[in-house]
Amino acid sequence: MSRRVLLHVGCPKTGTSYLQDVLFRNKAVLQEHDILYPADRFDAHFLAALDLMTLPWGGLETEAVGAWDRLAEQVREWHGTAIISHEIFARATPTQVERAMASLGDAEVHLVLSVRDLVRQIPAEWQENVKHRSNITYARFLETIRDPARDSRIGSWFWAVQELPDILARWAGSLPPERVHLVTVPPSGADRGELWRRFSRTFGLDDLDLDLTAERENPSLGVPETSLLRTINQRVTSIISPPDYRPLVRELLAHQTLSRGVASARLRLPPEDHAWAQDLSRSWVGAIADRGYDVAGSLDDLVGPEPGTFVDPDTVTPDLLLPSALDAISALLVESARLRAVEERLHEEVREAHAERDRARATPTYRLRRKVVRTLEDSPAGRGTLDAYRRVRGRARR
Amino acid sequence: MSGRAQSWVAHLRQGGTTPWLAWRGDPSSDRAGDGVLPGAQQLELLRRINLARESGAQPRARHDREGTRLADRVLAAPAAGRGKADLPLVGVETPAFGPQPVDPATVGAHELLRVASVLLADDLVALGPDPVRTAWARPWRLRFRLVGDPVLVAGWREDLASRGRPEGGPRPFVVAVGRPLDELLAHTWTQRCFETGSTPWVEWLRFWRERDQLPARADLPASVRRWHARRPLVRIVTDLDRLPRQLGVRRLPAVRVPGADQAELARRIAAVVGIRVPAEERPALMRTLQRRIPDTGTDPVVVPAREREWVAASAARTTREVRRAGYAVVGDLAGLAPRTETPAATGAGAADQQVLDLAIRMVVDPGWRTVGHPRAGAERSVEQ
Repeated sequence: MSRRVLLHVGCPKTGTSYLQDVLFRNKAVLQEHDILYPADRFDAHFLAALDLMTLPWGGLETEAVGAWDRLAEQVREWHGTAIISHEIFARATPTQVERAMASLGDAEVHLVLSVRDLVRQIPAEWQENVKHRSNITYARFLETIRDPARDSRIGSWFWAVQELPDILARWAGSLPPERVHLVTVPPSGADRGELWRRFSRTFGLDDLDLDLTAERENPSLGVPETSLLRTINQRVTSIISPPDYRPLVRELLAHQTLSRGVASARLRLPPEDHAWAQDLSRSWVGAIADRGYDVAGSLDDLVGPEPGTFVDPDTVTPDLLLPSALDAISALLVESARLRAVEERLHEEVREAHAERDRARATPTYRLRRKVVRTLEDSPAGRGTLDAYRRVRGRARR
Repeated sequence: MSGRAQSWVAHLRQGGTTPWLAWRGDPSSDRAGDGVLPGAQQLELLRRINLARESGAQPRARHDREGTRLADRVLAAPAAGRGKADLPLVGVETPAFGPQPVDPATVGAHELLRVASVLLADDLVALGPDPVRTAWARPWRLRFRLVGDPVLVAGWREDLASRGRPEGGPRPFVVAVGRPLDELLAHTWTQRCFETGSTPWVEWLRFWRERDQLPARADLPASVRRWHARRPLVRIVTDLDRLPRQLGVRRLPAVRVPGADQAELARRIAAVVGIRVPAEERPALMRTLQRRIPDTGTDPVVVPAREREWVAASAARTTREVRRAGYAVVGDLAGLAPRTETPAATGAGAADQQVLDLAIRMVVDPGWRTVGHPRAGAERSVEQ
């Protein structure tokens, strides 16, 4: 029975990919210190979340069958501290939260929520939508999430995983405040290691010698790069299925190619939306400030930076898109060349297999037997004879 | 949970059908409770289920036992997929944050279907797959490989296997069942819904049109080439009356073609089944659903007008390819062209309300689960 479970349920775009990668790569070290990160693949907890929430996800859900129950069982059987972490848990409904909590047994559950100011989260979420096949414009996205009805799929998802007081109401309602931990993402320009230090303190990893190399991150894109990706989506989303989109567009183009445009203008909120987001964030901070939660960082971080220069991604001119577009074409050509090489190698293997088969068949006795079989196969009586012969030989099903 | 909400939940659990806004409370049970209040989607679905049970004249005693169990399942069922969060009830004190409260009666059929599809998927998983009827393979059978129209082929393949005539064997004839391309596309999508699920009909069709490709099973020449058959061993059959002879049998049974609402419901159920059972178990479960799903008399999906030009061009290309390949044609290649008559339907597939009605009927009436699996229906079928 785990004595303690650290359940990290969100939010997206708060450095969670990096945290999960570090935990996964350092599983063995953690285990030596009685800390269990129960994952046999880096996205194991993502699959558990899909299972818990009955959430089809472009076919990936078929790998998630029973994943939550398996995860919960491993956690229940562990004698020390166990960590569960995925940002889409933030979306769980009260009924699903109840089930999740019940399946963790009698362990002392601590809820961890990493949070970032809306001023940066909103552009980041639009970008995330674009990286997940959406071609919604930035203006339309902002309009959608500001619609109080939250009728759209984008709006309902956004608030389900970003609305801090609501997530806390669903996940932390049954927990004493000292077991609720908020990790705020430091302001832009802060020391790169600061977020990790906050995570490390919250998860009790300070004294451990962990490999912190960033191998798997979810990098952000600049304004022209995101704009280009959205334009590409307009052309390809309807003709590229999710299993192809993931490696070719999101991984190859977005993460490995376009995210390198570090000099590009960063995506921000327009001035009016900026003020609205800050007001909303202040109301959230006001709602939770007195609850006595453990905060790594400061709730003031949630108000976000002052407005900067806004570059509208919906009106990026073609000349600004061109460098990124050429980078994308280069990357796709290199990938095509690699795939051609793979295809050629596979053809070669098939050719070798055929040649080997033909050599084996080149004997006179084989040719004679083949002729007899073909003759017999041309009539019902012959087919019956062949079947009878094969049954006698015990080869009927071969 | 507020006292009024709690008493409404209790009312619904007992088979009540009063809408939330008309619910005045029950003094005997109007006490606030600690439990989680289910979402408006679950509550409204339960109310609609109760309405359907009431009109179905179920004996009251049965309701008490099974109704309460069903009600608890509905209230605990998640809404599948990335739709709205569980919605709070209007008129109940809720925090200032979270989704806006709603009148459950206004929750759309699409949202209710997200919950209903989970219930039906769980029913299907609990039911398990129907046994596959097989028979000792007749040694003298004609060797064949059936390709083409996926709905018809799946039905006939199963029937033939049960009559000792399974597909395959050495040097089989590749028999391609050709149909007018619009019908073939509709059947391909429909069958896909009853296998792994799919994107919605209109979206699926647009995917192929924008690629200017045909899906693998609707592309007859490609289906034939996949089996590396030599030309003398290929038969393209457009005259279905002459198909049995090509397979070495006297007759083939009627195959039920699912309607648009059945296919759409199956599509949603398949997505949930995919997350409930290992991938290799899903096809057998979905085949079971295909056999057992109740008939509604709804027509299958049809190709929308805006896609007809592309369908006609694709059919012409298919015809040219078959002709150039020199395959033997049983019937007339003109039979591959889309039907010229324009169906009245717009082609957008079944309306959510139609699909919801079918889902509720299946939740309320367990006949599809409890009766032994039915043979092909008579409402809408293709028979030899």
